[in-house]
Amino acid sequence: MAELKTPQELGTEKIGKLLIRYAVPAMIAMLASSLYNIVDRAFIGHGVGAMALSGLAVTFPLMNLSAALGSMVGVGSGTMISLKLGQKDNESAQKLFGNSVTMNIIIGVSFGLLSLIFINPILRLFGATDVTIGYAREYMTIILIGNAFTHLYLGINCILRAAGHPNKAMVATIGTVLLNTLLDYLFIMVFKWGIKGAAIATVISQVLAFVWQCIQLSDKSELIHLQRGIYRLRKDLVKNIITIGLSPCLMNAAACFVVLLINRGLLKYGSDVAIGAYSIVNSIGFLIVMMVMGFNQAMQPIAGYNYGARQYDRVLRVLYLTMFFGTCVTTLGFAIAEFLPDMCIRIFTDDPELTAIARVGMRLTFLIFPLVGSQMVSGNFFQSIGMPGKSILMSLSRQLLLLIPFLLILPRFYGINGIWYSMPASDILSVILGFSLLIPQIRKLKKQS
Amino acid sequence: MDKHYCICIGRMFCSGGRNIAALVAERLGIKVYDRDLLKKAAQNTGFSEEFFAEADEEKTRKGLRALFMNHLSSNGLSSNYLSNESIFNMQSDAIRHIHEQEDCVFIGRCSDYVLRESDRLLNVFISARTDDRVARVCRHADEGMTPSKALSLIEDIDRKRASYYNYFTGRKWGDSANYDICLNSTVLGFDKCADIIVELAKEKLGI
Repeated sequence: MAELKTPQELGTEKIGKLLIRYAVPAMIAMLASSLYNIVDRAFIGHGVGAMALSGLAVTFPLMNLSAALGSMVGVGSGTMISLKLGQKDNESAQKLFGNSVTMNIIIGVSFGLLSLIFINPILRLFGATDVTIGYAREYMTIILIGNAFTHLYLGINCILRAAGHPNKAMVATIGTVLLNTLLDYLFIMVFKWGIKGAAIATVISQVLAFVWQCIQLSDKSELIHLQRGIYRLRKDLVKNIITIGLSPCLMNAAACFVVLLINRGLLKYGSDVAIGAYSIVNSIGFLIVMMVMGFNQAMQPIAGYNYGARQYDRVLRVLYLTMFFGTCVTTLGFAIAEFLPDMCIRIFTDDPELTAIARVGMRLTFLIFPLVGSQMVSGNFFQSIGMPGKSILMSLSRQLLLLIPFLLILPRFYGINGIWYSMPASDILSVILGFSLLIPQIRKLKKQS
Repeated sequence: MDKHYCICIGRMFCSGGRNIAALVAERLGIKVYDRDLLKKAAQNTGFSEEFFAEADEEKTRKGLRALFMNHLSSNGLSSNYLSNESIFNMQSDAIRHIHEQEDCVFIGRCSDYVLRESDRLLNVFISARTDDRVARVCRHADEGMTPSKALSLIEDIDRKRASYYNYFTGRKWGDSANYDICLNSTVLGFDKCADIIVELAKEKLGI
């Protein structure tokens, strides 16, 4: 959202060309963040063991919650800063930057401290058992100590994008992934530090990324740079940042709640191993979802601009094309999950019990995936054309509103498989909901064009 | 020095700001941009006018919908041209564009902030006594308008204008520090207000 000037090419250039051009950078950023997950879990699975993977998985809700708070500050300050830069109001943009840094430090430190104090009850709540809590605590303690740096690094990345440096943000993201992979190998495989090694690798790579960002931001000729006197919190700025960031924050916090339910369900009807299996399935699912999100990010400016300019035929064309790409991606995911599940699982583990459970989970979870692509695209489409309500409804329906009832009911009848069934079941309903919202909208657009 | 001058008039709801703006413009022989601004912004961008009307200063709502609208701007990786922020930026481009083209009066829409770098700018704020504004609302509204309804309408619209202005400018709406002169139309009357503004404009803007 660097520049809000309206590039005319959005209204004239070939849709396919535009979509690809906008999708590539978004895709790289999305892939990087999901690769990060996969790499960490792969090293822990192979280098430490199957139980360590389950220990890692019970920390996800806590990590999600932390990410939710981070996204609040990141999105809020990013939006405000690009607004101010658009008005050439650099002074206000600087103050917003300073305030966001302070907010990140305060939230990062206090979240880290609070979670450290209550680490045992929190992990128990998220599904840790006597077997897994050791791993979870070992990992989380180090992550929480570095929590403020995680927030700073992610927050500044949002600001770099807002300030017109998406490439720098991307370098930081990719750099962290590469460094983390290297350190994971060194700490887990060579030094045999166990799950602690993965946490140390994560913290070190984020601290280094943060240092690199600070070097980038110390250039005084840049619009946004480190400067004295901008860090004192101002009530109105903090209020604006929180108001804007609240919506993404709540969406992320909702995800945390769902993971909590899934973990506890898997534990109740299955075992610790099932939680580890879920983390494998989840990593693959996340990768696929993120790739669709990449296309969604690309569709947004194209559909939005053309909708504003009333070129509805172009709006529909970009919608269809994105749906096609989205469906291709999710169908590919479906095919791999159904026909080559062991190949994916082998990335994470060789443990036969874990592999068996993950195989079942994978086949069931991805059952409806060929249809999910179009659901995700249409949810984002509503966001692109300025209808946030429907967009939020659609994205919450699949991941929350429709999923939770299934998660609570199905396991009572089908045991652990009921948890896996819940995902395709909520997928089906949300696909139906999606189309029942989208088709009238398409008709309306056709009539108007 | 900028080629063209401009007078930005901020106003409380039903304080007579628009009437005063019209009088000033008539005396100086220039144009007033109120809603027309949205039309101009639409022409410049190729967007339809309704998007600008939707995001206009009195329309941004508090509560759930505001929270939803924020969802539109909620990612750093791609831009949403229909977000309130983007629409505001396009509208400000239109304000700057008009300011380069002609002398004029702008009503509201944060024009004082958008054009703050200009050296030929007069910032005015018009207020009026509340009872006077209530009476005006009742006079102009359809039947069935009661003073208590009028009062809550006034409070509502003022609050929306304030939150719009405060959000986009980071200043405080109606704060005398933002304006060159603040006039109370109940005390002075529309004509006198216009006289004062014109006189000041001639002196300050070198007309």
